[in-house]
Amino acid sequence: MRLLAAPRPEDFRSRLRGPEVTARIGLWLGICFGLAFLTGLYSHFSQNTPGWLTLPTRPVALYRVSQGVHVIAGTAAVPLLLVKLWSVYQKLFERPDVGSVRRLGLQLAERGSIAVLVAAAIFELATGLPNAAQWYPWSFSFRATHYAVGWVAIGALLVHIAVRLPLIRDALTGPLDKAGASASRGGSLSRRGLLRTTWLAAGVAVLATAGATVPVLRKISVFGVRSGTGPEGVPINHAASDVGAVAPATHPSYRLKIINGDTVVSLSRDELSAMPQTIAELPIACVEGWSASGTWTGVRLRDLMALVDAPAGADVMVESLQVTSYLKVTHLPHEFVQDQLTLLALGLNGEELSLDHGYPCRLIAPTRPGVLQTKWVGKLEVLT
Amino acid sequence: MRTIRAVMMVSGVGLAAFGVAMLVGNGWSENVAIVWWLGGGVVLHDAILAPATIILGLVVMPLLPQWARVPVTVGTVVLGSVTLLAVPVLGRFGSRPGAPTLLDRNYVGGWFVFAGIVVVAVVFAAVRRRVSLGTSSVPRINHNASADGASADVHATP
Repeated sequence: MRLLAAPRPEDFRSRLRGPEVTARIGLWLGICFGLAFLTGLYSHFSQNTPGWLTLPTRPVALYRVSQGVHVIAGTAAVPLLLVKLWSVYQKLFERPDVGSVRRLGLQLAERGSIAVLVAAAIFELATGLPNAAQWYPWSFSFRATHYAVGWVAIGALLVHIAVRLPLIRDALTGPLDKAGASASRGGSLSRRGLLRTTWLAAGVAVLATAGATVPVLRKISVFGVRSGTGPEGVPINHAASDVGAVAPATHPSYRLKIINGDTVVSLSRDELSAMPQTIAELPIACVEGWSASGTWTGVRLRDLMALVDAPAGADVMVESLQVTSYLKVTHLPHEFVQDQLTLLALGLNGEELSLDHGYPCRLIAPTRPGVLQTKWVGKLEVLT
Repeated sequence: MRTIRAVMMVSGVGLAAFGVAMLVGNGWSENVAIVWWLGGGVVLHDAILAPATIILGLVVMPLLPQWARVPVTVGTVVLGSVTLLAVPVLGRFGSRPGAPTLLDRNYVGGWFVFAGIVVVAVVFAAVRRRVSLGTSSVPRINHNASADGASADVHATP
């Protein structure tokens, strides 16, 4: 009748289950979560920059690479997490040791910490991957929640490694397969075979998706969120019609307003075109992990700031003509205002900026999240 | 080692507490949804995905000849895990009329190509193993597979 009872750990007979496999997959899973956490922090501080922090503006592709690594690490973590959880699944059925209060307490504390870790890890992957495809099947705020649970996941991971450190060390330094078992016998996979299968699945997962940010993989990334094409050869996230920008952006009376206290300068698009133009090769890199590089032509933002005698250390508020309020107004820290590559772009890849790329002019700055590269710019205001 | 472990333990609890504190600041209705998602992921894995994988192995593996078991296992892990992580693009749930360059591939067609490559690779590897097993002296009948292989994972005592 044991068939009907809950299984016990010893009922799981595969020799693949054990610390030899778990520790090796766990090492790479830990590396993926560590990378995702660090790049996630950088992305968070790029979007919410506190006053005390000055972000680097070089290399220009820093945000592009960082956010690409964030999504690639999370994608690779899916097969790693699935196989790792498989390799320890039998532990779910361990019975509590009710003989000693102290041991029971320790057991419950450890199982609790594992529950938090597994819940947070699955949550981060199960929210991050849909977000990369802009699918939001939940009612909570993605960014705030993904960020907060990221801290829970990395904290629970540190606790887990601390608890298991002696076991991990022994497993990683000991032999993987028993002598003679390294080649798979008959119909069963060896431990080495299972590890190779896991690395293969993680590698295939990366190749099948990373084309959205790594141009050489575009042709083979059948599950990439974007093919990389679009107007002027660059994808777009929000069309002008999506955010109510068509009418104000194409109105003949359009003027860019530059404001510093009481000093106000208004420029038509022709006047912007008549100013000295700078060409810069800069990537547009979205928080969702896709990115593309473009050759932008436009006026240096600091030249525009000089028109209203803006002080060198001032931040700038950039306001879009779009009607929808989300990201209509963005905050540009002073290090980006002063950077010689930060442009108010009028052209992209040799063509006039199209309406969906932000006509009449858009902000493009080095190593900034795409959502803050404001399109359809109507107003620049110096913050003092 | 003791010190390293203690430092990791304390800082880990601190980092996780910082995350929980941020969540608490999100407000009640957000947190109810978040808890559903946190718990839901664990339940979906532990109560559905993991047992389904094990039962699938128990049912399918004995039906396969020995030389096919390893290639089929490898192919299933690759195809299954990559298909799972491709669900958001396969369903194109996030596509909007205002974003024509988003989710602009034929994902279902891509999946069939991907699955086709996996199937061909599995068949190729299985045939190769069959040929090499046929010429060697390895006995075809497995020795106590339940103690040995992924093929018979859970052992149900009669």
